Amino acid sequence: MSVRVGRVVVVGGGVAGVSTVAALRSGGFDGELTLVDAGEFPYDRPPLSKEFLAGKKDLQQIALQPPQWYDDRAVRLVNRAVVTAVRPDLAAVELAGGGTLPADRVVLATGGHAARPPIPGGDDPRVHVLRTAEDAAELRAALVPGARVLVVGGGLIGAEVASTAVDLGCEVLLADPAPRPLAGAVGDEIAAWLHGLHARRGVTTVHAAVESFASAAGGLEVRLTGEDEARVVDVAVLGVGMVPETSLAAAAGLDVDRGIVVDEHQVTSNPAVLAVGDPARTRRDGALLPRTEHWEAARLDGERAAAAILGRTAPATSAPWFWTDRHGLHIEAVGDMASADRVVVRGLLGEPPFSAFGLRGDHVVGAVAVEDSTAVRAARRMIDRAIPVDPVPLADTAVELKKLLRR
Amino acid sequence: MSSGIRVASLDDIPEGEGIAIDKSVTGTADDIALLRDEDGSVWALDDTCTHEDASLADGWVEGGYVECPLHSSKFCLKSGEVQNLPATKNACPHRVEVRDGEVYLFPNEAP
Ligand SMILES: Cc1cc2nc3c(=O)[nH]c(=O)nc-3n(C[C@H](O)[C@H](O)[C@H](O)COP(=O)(O)OP(=O)(O)OC[C@H]3O[C@@H](n4cnc5c(N)ncnc54)[C@H](O)[C@@H]3O)c2cc1C
Ligand code: FES
Repeated sequence: MSVRVGRVVVVGGGVAGVSTVAALRSGGFDGELTLVDAGEFPYDRPPLSKEFLAGKKDLQQIALQPPQWYDDRAVRLVNRAVVTAVRPDLAAVELAGGGTLPADRVVLATGGHAARPPIPGGDDPRVHVLRTAEDAAELRAALVPGARVLVVGGGLIGAEVASTAVDLGCEVLLADPAPRPLAGAVGDEIAAWLHGLHARRGVTTVHAAVESFASAAGGLEVRLTGEDEARVVDVAVLGVGMVPETSLAAAAGLDVDRGIVVDEHQVTSNPAVLAVGDPARTRRDGALLPRTEHWEAARLDGERAAAAILGRTAPATSAPWFWTDRHGLHIEAVGDMASADRVVVRGLLGEPPFSAFGLRGDHVVGAVAVEDSTAVRAARRMIDRAIPVDPVPLADTAVELKKLLRR
Repeated sequence: MSSGIRVASLDDIPEGEGIAIDKSVTGTADDIALLRDEDGSVWALDDTCTHEDASLADGWVEGGYVECPLHSSKFCLKSGEVQNLPATKNACPHRVEVRDGEVYLFPNEAP
């Protein structure tokens, strides 16, 4: 450690913030460590559209860590507190209500909020979004059996909500102007198949955007593009993306460009402030990369930020990975399918388990797997280690993928 | 000390993979995953991931760890210690012995 850092304040107790404090302590940081979070306690977000929304888990069951964990690591956890300003000039952060916390380093782990595009009538209380446990609890209360539910957006969260709502006995309509949502992330063929799952489970899918909402007799009236007649539903959910929380960074004069701009060590334009997780946007070799709004990326950001504060070498990077669950299937993707010039399917597309590998030349650049976690883990190593592969054995389920890694 | 339960032949477990042994055989609360590292060594942990319902026997075994097939928490093969979220609890380890190509399990004995 070149310069000793005495006090670190992490703002935001999502997976990025909790991973930051975990990695600081396991890396030997022995200074004062404070984690400030606006919520009741740090909880995990992916279950909010899955088990939590389905009523199978409560908030305690999705805590990121048990309360004792923070005590054991001498992490001062300040719940239900909002940071209102970051003042690197004063080596402090300011809290709502007037308090301040001294901080030699501040880690912004502030996540983001669900996007609420300006759709006329979109402020009706029956129009929901899903980002927080409160959002999920409100939505869950509305997802009663027989409820007519409109899900707007067929991306990751929209599809999960549609799936959970069907499980709960709702009548679900899913609207997305894109014919194959997620095509960029999983490739055209798999995107089409995944989207097709909805209809097989009784979800009505339409290629349309919402023009307006209005209160009507018997429910919420929805006008969709390309349809003459309005539809009437009981509940609507917008799953149309997230807006990164960058206001603290902007007010502190940090470089912000649709995300808090960081270098490869998560350090912002002010060396005393770092940013991790959903709002962080990396600049590499002068170019701004797109933000990765996935769970594991947030976790790994935290580990990198801790290494930077400790003056250690950053952990090795790996191809980005995410999972999602819909209609009882576990789907995972790794790397960048969009940069592939050909796709090799392993198994039968449409009959899980199966997977698809995106190749560029003789290198794997991305993969998607349905109920086949080994395929994605193998692909990840092929990408990370830049192992050239022959598409013929790759497609052959009789050939073990681990063998291809050993070549 | 008992001589352990013979649960598998070494050849039944490919390197870098695992198999689950049913709790009716092991007499434990959970099934037990026999996990074979790439160096050939065999380890045993409670099979059900401490996060949700995944079987660790279906995980990716490499370099002293098993990675959960659902959300990729990693567990130390030797100690069961969890390495990263989303799981927060350690997996319970069990002692294993390999004799003459046969795998013997000592349920609930520390490795
Ligand atoms: C419903 C849902 C389902 C998802 N499912 C998956 C999935 O299956 N797989 C996957 O890979 N990813 C999934 N994701 C994405 C994943 O959850 C996010 O990428 C991840 O939560 C990002 O973590 P984070 O720590 O950056 O931000 P967040 O989880 O948003 O945490 C930020 C925290 O900061 C707090 N905060 C913000 N500002 C302040 C302030 N000024 N003062 C104090 N506290 C503050 C907030 O209250 C919040 O607790 C899902 C996301 C959602 C919303
Ligand atoms: S079930 Fe193992 S990490 Fe989630």
